[in-house]
Amino acid sequence: MPEQLAFTIEVFLNGLMAGVLYALVALGFVLIYKASGIFNYAQGVMALFAALTLAGIIDGQVPFSHLINAILGTDIHHFGWHVPAFLAILLTMVVMIGLAYAVQRLVFRHLVGQEPIILFMATIGLAYFLEGVGDLMWGSDIKSMDVGLPQGLNTWIDDTTFNAFGYGFFIDNLDIVASIIAALLVIGLVMFAQYTKQGRAMRAVADDHQAALSVGVSLNFIWILVWSLAGFVALVAGIMWGTKSGVQFSLSLIALKALPVLMLGGFTSIPGAIVGGLIIGVGEKLFEFLIGAPFLGGATENWFAYMLALIFLVFRPQGLFGEKIIERV
Amino acid sequence: MTDGYVTADGRQIGPVVMEMKNITLRFGGVEAIKDISFDIRQGEIRAIIGPNGAGKSSMLNVISGFYVPQEGEVWYKGAPRPSMKPYEVAQQGIARTFQNIALFEGMSVLDNVMTGRLTNMKTGMFWQSIWKGKAEREETANREVAEKIIDFLEIQAIRKTPVSRLSYGLKKRVELARALAAEPSILLLDEPMAGMNVEEKEDMSRFILDVNDEFGTTIALIEHDMGVVMDLSDRVVVMDYGKKIGDGTPSEVRNNQDVIDAYLGVAHD
Amino acid sequence: MAHTLVSADGPQSVPALLHRNAKQFANAPAYREKEYGIWQSWTWAQTRDEVEALALGLLELGANEGDFIAIIGRNRPYLYWAMMAAEMVGAVPVPLYQDANAEEMAYVLDHCGARFAIVGDQEQVDKVLDVQNQLTQFERMIYLDPRGLRKYDHAALDQYSAVQDMGRKARDKHIKELEARQAKLDYDSTGVMLYTSGTTGKPKGVVLSNRNIIETAKSSSAFDKLRQTDDILAYLPMAWVGDFIFSVGQALWTGFCTNCPESADTMHVDLREIGPTYYFAPPRVFETQLTSVMIRMEDASRFKKWLFDKFMAHARRVGPAILDGKSIGAMDRAKYALGELMIYGPLKNTLGLSRVRVGYTAGEAIGPEIFDFYRSLGINLKQLYGQTEATVFITAQPDGEVRSDTVGVTCPGVELKIAENGEVFYRSPGVFVEYYKNPESTADTKDAEGWVATGDAGFIEESSGHLRIIDRAKDVGKMADGSLFAPKYVENKLKFFPNILEAVVFGNGRDACTAFINIDLTAVGNWAERNNIGYASYQELARHPQVMDTIQSHVEEVNASIAEDEMLSGCQVHRFVVLHKELDADDGELTRTRKVRRKVIGEKFDDIITALYDGSPSVSTVTEVTYEDGRKGSIAATLEVRDAKVFADTRKMAAQ
Repeated sequence: MPEQLAFTIEVFLNGLMAGVLYALVALGFVLIYKASGIFNYAQGVMALFAALTLAGIIDGQVPFSHLINAILGTDIHHFGWHVPAFLAILLTMVVMIGLAYAVQRLVFRHLVGQEPIILFMATIGLAYFLEGVGDLMWGSDIKSMDVGLPQGLNTWIDDTTFNAFGYGFFIDNLDIVASIIAALLVIGLVMFAQYTKQGRAMRAVADDHQAALSVGVSLNFIWILVWSLAGFVALVAGIMWGTKSGVQFSLSLIALKALPVLMLGGFTSIPGAIVGGLIIGVGEKLFEFLIGAPFLGGATENWFAYMLALIFLVFRPQGLFGEKIIERV
Repeated sequence: MTDGYVTADGRQIGPVVMEMKNITLRFGGVEAIKDISFDIRQGEIRAIIGPNGAGKSSMLNVISGFYVPQEGEVWYKGAPRPSMKPYEVAQQGIARTFQNIALFEGMSVLDNVMTGRLTNMKTGMFWQSIWKGKAEREETANREVAEKIIDFLEIQAIRKTPVSRLSYGLKKRVELARALAAEPSILLLDEPMAGMNVEEKEDMSRFILDVNDEFGTTIALIEHDMGVVMDLSDRVVVMDYGKKIGDGTPSEVRNNQDVIDAYLGVAHD
Repeated sequence: MAHTLVSADGPQSVPALLHRNAKQFANAPAYREKEYGIWQSWTWAQTRDEVEALALGLLELGANEGDFIAIIGRNRPYLYWAMMAAEMVGAVPVPLYQDANAEEMAYVLDHCGARFAIVGDQEQVDKVLDVQNQLTQFERMIYLDPRGLRKYDHAALDQYSAVQDMGRKARDKHIKELEARQAKLDYDSTGVMLYTSGTTGKPKGVVLSNRNIIETAKSSSAFDKLRQTDDILAYLPMAWVGDFIFSVGQALWTGFCTNCPESADTMHVDLREIGPTYYFAPPRVFETQLTSVMIRMEDASRFKKWLFDKFMAHARRVGPAILDGKSIGAMDRAKYALGELMIYGPLKNTLGLSRVRVGYTAGEAIGPEIFDFYRSLGINLKQLYGQTEATVFITAQPDGEVRSDTVGVTCPGVELKIAENGEVFYRSPGVFVEYYKNPESTADTKDAEGWVATGDAGFIEESSGHLRIIDRAKDVGKMADGSLFAPKYVENKLKFFPNILEAVVFGNGRDACTAFINIDLTAVGNWAERNNIGYASYQELARHPQVMDTIQSHVEEVNASIAEDEMLSGCQVHRFVVLHKELDADDGELTRTRKVRRKVIGEKFDDIITALYDGSPSVSTVTEVTYEDGRKGSIAATLEVRDAKVFADTRKMAAQ
């Protein structure tokens, strides 16, 4: 096999893995947008917040320790224990559900029937608020995340491909695990939406609020449910990203990468979010490798996704899978 | 206390299931409903009629919990009903349709009818997520009810069709199917014949009568087409400008001078 | 009697066959029906038990040997069982057309003197109750679907399942009697009585014996190598002889499974789900399906349409040859296989025909391009020629010898002869016993030697030995100049155009031919939609100038093709109108099987025919119509009369 082709395949595979993470974040957006029409700018911060909380709980960190120490003059930072990863994830999930409840109860319940732009502004506020609370609770230092996911070069793939093609593919174990988990998560979500009572109610709310009320569905409950699901998705994304590059503020910026994914896939389509994520992941890696690095001086990954999204906005504004936008008179 | 009556066609009508007591509803300064009282009895077809703007729809929305009246009480099954959200009213066994059709356009007909079963599903979210055993049995039982109703309303051929592709008349029928799927104790129909042609109206009338006959469902409907209502219903409330101007059997109402005036458009003073 | 074949071995009656199957194929599926969204199924053993329970119930209700029991409703297993149960108790089942109006129903029920009727639902109960006071012998009705019937007076009304329960309870009391009655049944006892819809006059009751049913089922099953594992879809009227032979006769003989659709509306979905292996449909059904495929292809993406056209052209070229087992080049075969993968397979699946091994059409001539379309897809669609009096089968096309313009060779055991006037006669073990209570008609149709007149004119093609049918014998007439007048031949050619639904040609004893045309609302309506032509009704669309132009071009094309035939060149259509209403069975213009009633139409539209011959450019007329609910009304219209180009006989010209 010619070397150039082998490199390309390797880049392609790595792009696929990156795409899975984009898709995961985009999925969180789609869930909330479909059910409530809210474009949740805070989705990225939710991932950061979830990762911070998880890392904090595992470490046995005392929440709000700075605040407590400043007021009481104490000097406590840790409980002195380590919480097992599984339990910590469960606890974090409880926190995320609490957050969903609070957001619905304290913010959006009072904004029912408001213009979309108002709701959007509210999520911007929520983003900054969450960022601040995260800092205050867990401190602003960069944390490492270790929930026991395998990491590093997958030697089996390396060996096998080396023997087969004379060139060993470098693929990270974490990427493989992330892809599998993301795939399971998506399948689970789709099954949940399709076959369970709550899923059916969720789809009903996404389709028509008034009709959903008339068949006995509580909109409030469904909104809390989707915010919780979005929180769960954010937690998964936070774990992956955090394991890879540490839990730090930049994690919240992955939300910005999800934007072009949504433009590609459509704001209302779950399959769209997945396909869109994969296209952007693969597209930016391949573009950088084949065109960007040799001809454009590199670093195209920073803008490729946005350019692609721009092209899409011009030619197919509803995205690949989005419902056709028809202006009704 | 009289408990029910026998209709002209020999059906036994039961005791009162719902009673509106001095309902008044205002929007800002406008009084949409002014001090109206009437009752709905078990097993009857009860119509609320009146010219456009008479407050019929507002009345239906009060019953189904979409509007909360400023004054008066709604008694349901012998007790005053506390202030409720529409979805809670639905959970109490009051199903409704909408004048302008509110279906889940993106779902199939079967899925739409199945949403009507939501209030009858008791399994918790945990079992639903695992979807085994109990939840599965429940799903099967609910599917059976849904299929019986699909059969009853003769919409088998469109079972898998997305609702958005159906004609107006069929959508109305699907909406009725969804409401029926809840096995409601009271079925509220908001202008079930609006916008239909003669043949569709006849079909819908037949289905309404059949539903009442076959399942014994109590039906309250609003309609401005006098002819249809008079053939269908057992008792009729007539509203005009938010007030009740008549209440009784179709023939009583037909001979009521106030009703005749309202429909002939005699000037109000 | 001059029956040529007498079989002494094997079961001699329909119930005997049922008992044989219940033993031999005990656990194989016998009947299926889709209800509440699920296919319910009954094995042969279960079927026997159900039938027996009903038969015992009928005994409890007092059914006698020789009684007539009417069966009315859409195709449902329960009603097929009712026919078998009737035979078990020694009575004669009489299936009726469920869409017959009250008058037709009253005539048949009275004519056979039915004591019982087993019906599907409220609609039929109402219909029978409506006419009950005109019937002297009628006693009780049994219904299947209880919906809406709860409040009816049940003095002379029972639910089907209640009768079965009654029968199961009274088993000990009646089982001896039931067995005795079945033992008395033989090859000569009556198996069923079917009323022919009759293109003229009152319906006639055709009496078929067990011999007719079993011998026909046996030989036709062998002819097409039907298997016990075959599946059919029962959706054509139960009163029609074809459905009886397929769903009862052949089903019992070979033991295959009869599948009943959920409702008439779901027929196409059910067809796809079942995927029958043995399938019958009148040409109209194939035509409608093809039209809908073509309409969908018009709306498909350009690439898809290109692919479809390309592969269909290839299929038309080699498909029929492959089906007939002829040798084809390897490249063509490979291309056909690719087409199967991409176009033919998915299309057959959509049509519900992917499993069809033996498919038949009959009743009317089928358009050659329609016929070839299905065959080129690899569907073994064939033609047969038959009638009620023959227990269906007279001729059929053997595998590998299929053409659109013949009806095949004689079926096993059938003899054929052509009279001087061209009328086709046959003799076979399937020849009916008699017309019930109508010895004159029986004598008119069947002579002492057992030859039966078909009423059709035709000839046997020398090269192939296949029978070709031209027209109804009595409709083949003479033009004023003595040349042959074969209206149906011309009408069929016209009807092969998708835009033309129905045509009626006049000209007997006249100088020239003229025609009435009905446009096909689906095809023409679709064309109108694509070309942004608005219309509110059939009538408005029918008189649109562009529609008239299109129809005129079709008529002229037909004229050109008729001109090539020396014998029939006088039948070219000189003038035509597009009618302002669709010809309808409810108005008596068509039979229930949608055959044209020439005489009725001629009388009813007398004024239009006059206009066709007196040269006037248009005609105003008022026509009475009957709505579905039986109310009458009338429609007035002014019709444009068009002249069509006619062609000189090309061959005669050349000879001169």
